[in-house]
Amino acid sequence: MKKKILTIYFPVMLLMVVSALAIPPRADASGLFGPLQTVSREQGGLNTAVGYLYHEDTYENGESYRVKQNEIYSQAAYGAKNIWEIYGRVGVSNMKLSGIFASSDHFVETSKDDFEADWEFFGALGAKVFYPINAVFGVGAFMQGTYYFTDFSDHASITSGGVPIKTEMKFENLWDADFGIGLQAQLPCGAKLYAGPYIYYSEADMSLSSDWTGTEYTKKDHTVSNQSMAGGFLGADIPLIRGFRLNVEGQFADRFSAGLAVSYTY
Amino acid sequence: MKFYLSMIVCVFVLCAQGLAYGQETSFTVGPQDESVSQQIVSSAKATPDLTSEDQSKTASNNPTDELSEDYHEDEILEEYAAKIKEEKVEIADPLEPLNRVFHEFNDKLYFWALKPVAQGYKAVVPEPARVSVKNFFSNLAFPARFLSCLLQADFSGAATEAGRFTINTLWGIGGLMDPSSGKELNLQKQDTDLGQTLGVWGVGQGFYIVWPVFGPYSFRDTVILAGDYFIYPVSYINPWYASWGVRAYEEVNATSLRIGDYEALKDAAIDPYVAFRDAYAQYRFKKIKARKTKLTLSAPAAQQGKPADAELLNKEN
Repeated sequence: MKKKILTIYFPVMLLMVVSALAIPPRADASGLFGPLQTVSREQGGLNTAVGYLYHEDTYENGESYRVKQNEIYSQAAYGAKNIWEIYGRVGVSNMKLSGIFASSDHFVETSKDDFEADWEFFGALGAKVFYPINAVFGVGAFMQGTYYFTDFSDHASITSGGVPIKTEMKFENLWDADFGIGLQAQLPCGAKLYAGPYIYYSEADMSLSSDWTGTEYTKKDHTVSNQSMAGGFLGADIPLIRGFRLNVEGQFADRFSAGLAVSYTY
Repeated sequence: MKFYLSMIVCVFVLCAQGLAYGQETSFTVGPQDESVSQQIVSSAKATPDLTSEDQSKTASNNPTDELSEDYHEDEILEEYAAKIKEEKVEIADPLEPLNRVFHEFNDKLYFWALKPVAQGYKAVVPEPARVSVKNFFSNLAFPARFLSCLLQADFSGAATEAGRFTINTLWGIGGLMDPSSGKELNLQKQDTDLGQTLGVWGVGQGFYIVWPVFGPYSFRDTVILAGDYFIYPVSYINPWYASWGVRAYEEVNATSLRIGDYEALKDAAIDPYVAFRDAYAQYRFKKIKARKTKLTLSAPAAQQGKPADAELLNKEN
């Protein structure tokens, strides 16, 4: 029986992962998606988590910007009947855009090459549903939205022809929305393996302003968004001790993101 | 602000003792709060629970006659009576006239300001939310408990507090929830403060003093009030009136969870001032005794067997 189940569902699972990874996406999402099935008690209850995600993404609007973020967050979720869950998340994230201040002109000197912003707050809301196919396998879907409450900003000094210019760059109103489906397998030890594809959209207002001897001579505002809209995720949720669980997850789009979270079930 | 907290504590103590005036109240008292008088009642109740068959079996198994059993019961009662006498704690009250004025002021403050606000707050905020707020402030008060445990050389208590703070902050949504106290983790809050630390060190309680707004204290605990202030994070909120606003909110929230307790004690007492004073002294004595007992049990065997209670009682008096 077990062999039959594996024979039927393993190719499906593999196909989902492969198809997700085969799509040539250029973006991924923020925050772990977590197991497709809630870890809350069946009669209904809370679970909380603390998580970390290293995240890379690519935004574009004519030019491409590679964004790197470290995200730390706290999450509270309520789920019931092993089939549904809603969750909220608050956290902080920094941001780095490599080489954005760098200039290829030898006559232009910049104080630094990379945009580096300090920790800013974000919040996320999400929901997931799960349908158990049998005791081992099930399929699920989730949706998640994230908004960054504060702006990422950084300054650089640029010297062009001996004239110093102060430049400020801002990454404002960053948000994203994710929707994904996946297959989950429950292992005998209580661990859960899950994988699947997801679609994703993210947007931010990017502004670059420069002062030349106190007079603003350049201001450039535009909206940037993720280049492509699909990715894949693969993760495991492992029971620890005394109600704690470890969730490890990787997300792949044009870049790889990975993170972990430790959850506690009330 | 701690006046009302102290009052409610007094309520529990007096209830645990069946009230000195012999009146009953509707309060429930946990096993840990069981007083000596309650133990007497419990033991008195326990005996009739034996069925006649059990009693006959006991009689047949033990050849001792009824007379010796009576003597044995008398001995037990004498032992309990001795304990009651031993635990009777009194506190000097040289400032009684002034204290009574402040007691009256605090009483009016409660009935005219705090209680109406707390009742309104209770009407609009559901109990789970208010309990979460209470948990949050309790989690914030971690430094005082942690430091007190360290100063008492109660390292297991300090470790428990550190663990509680970490878990409740990270997985308890900043302390709003209290997963540490759950069955699985079972890390219970260390019920101690810097005043108890001085008591454990052997510092006597001094005289009784009622502070306006803050409520009843001993002189020893008054000195510690400043220490508690400086290690409570809320004290560092700027501007100062925001800090006091948060403290006021904390008190309103706490009061909303125990409306009626203070009134019950006040109604039950012939002289509420004396009732609160005695209850305060008893309560603090029991707390310090409990801490000493815990430390004695965890201390090396060589240090055990000291008459800690009697020693403490002498110091308290």
